[in-house]
Amino acid sequence: MRLTLLFAAFVVLGLAFESAVPHLVSFRALIPNLIIILVVDLGLRHHGVVPAMLAFAIGYATDALAGSHPGLNAFMMTMVFLVSYEISTRLMVTNALVGATVVFFGVIATALATVAFADGFNALSDTGSMLPGLTLEAAVSAIVAPFIFSMLAASKRMTGLPVRAKRE
Amino acid sequence: MRGSFLWRNRVLLTSGALLIVSLHLISTGVHPGDLAARPESAFLEIISPVDAAFTRLSDGLSSIATGYLDLLHVREENARLRNELARVNSDRARLAELEVENRHLGELLELKDVLGAKAVAANVIGSDATGLSRTLMLASGSSDGLRPGMAVLANQGVVGKIIAISPHASRVLLIDDHNSALDGFDQRSRARGIVAGLVDDGLILKYADRSQDIRIGDTIVTSGLDGIFPRGLLVGTIQSVHRGAPGLFLGVRIEPAVDFRELEQVLIVTQPPPHLDDPAKD
Repeated sequence: MRLTLLFAAFVVLGLAFESAVPHLVSFRALIPNLIIILVVDLGLRHHGVVPAMLAFAIGYATDALAGSHPGLNAFMMTMVFLVSYEISTRLMVTNALVGATVVFFGVIATALATVAFADGFNALSDTGSMLPGLTLEAAVSAIVAPFIFSMLAASKRMTGLPVRAKRE
Repeated sequence: MRGSFLWRNRVLLTSGALLIVSLHLISTGVHPGDLAARPESAFLEIISPVDAAFTRLSDGLSSIATGYLDLLHVREENARLRNELARVNSDRARLAELEVENRHLGELLELKDVLGAKAVAANVIGSDATGLSRTLMLASGSSDGLRPGMAVLANQGVVGKIIAISPHASRVLLIDDHNSALDGFDQRSRARGIVAGLVDDGLILKYADRSQDIRIGDTIVTSGLDGIFPRGLLVGTIQSVHRGAPGLFLGVRIEPAVDFRELEQVLIVTQPPPHLDDPAKD
């Protein structure tokens, strides 16, 4: 319950930030993808049914504020969670660098997969002009990710939640 | 229990089930009134006040930053008048903001009169949370008489249509989104086509026949045939015409009349347009 409430608070703030700030900042690519950072943290550090459902719920909440295909972000966030979870179970360490790397590739893969899902795989050929901006957004998100992980870790300590996942 | 297959693979199995649920939602779509639309509407309702607060906070911080820069400049010139000037600057900024808002609302009122249809004005409080689609969030919802599918306009032209709604907020799919399509025609040549957005930003006129006399600078307006947008509203001007494009149709790019990033207030047509005949027959 504490985990759900903690992530709900972060998601509401993250979504409000991502929705409000682009209206004021001229270059969208400079705004980090906070939602993917939260889902990667869930996948790397929280292994269980509730975190998986939380990742889905975060995606579905994003669907309420982004895109025109409800379910698409829910699918993408569940995939990001699953990949992060698989990485964390196979690697010896899941530090901020691993998290930042997963965030970097997660942002790019999610964007391309969203275009492919929404418009068909042929539309991927039109994404060439998107890639520089997308790479920049992924880099900014990866740079910001360790700070968000630290904030989450501090919040988890304050609420008595485990900061790292137990090895299975 | 802990050593069982189900327990060991609980994360994979749960994620798999949730992926199937997501695919089901994507394939069937979520319609207003569906059970699946309720969480979406609830999220929109929860986020919209936080979003509006963030927008106000950002505006406030921006005003403070501008005010502070002004203050530094004034200090160099005359320290004694610093506070007075800051107050005057702050008042002036606030008045200028009110003046701009008044002008926008005045222009929207004029547009409402020109349309002759029932319409309500709404403030823009946010944009697409992922940036992969082109949507806007409005601070008005079903309690203000808005419904999904209603046309959204600005004084410069067509903005988009409402795709999701909650009691006090709504989301607008912009016409330059890659999933958007509206029926339009060239005002000079009467050539019809579908105005659609592109993945890599921009607006095109699809299905314009190669025999049509479409030229750069021509004005594209709504036909009213889609049953959403009233006829004759400005969509944009022709930016380029590519006659060598592959396929049966012309490659036509449109420069949108509206600068979607600058939108602060919009007008929502709450009355559907009357049924019309094909403008190409005019």
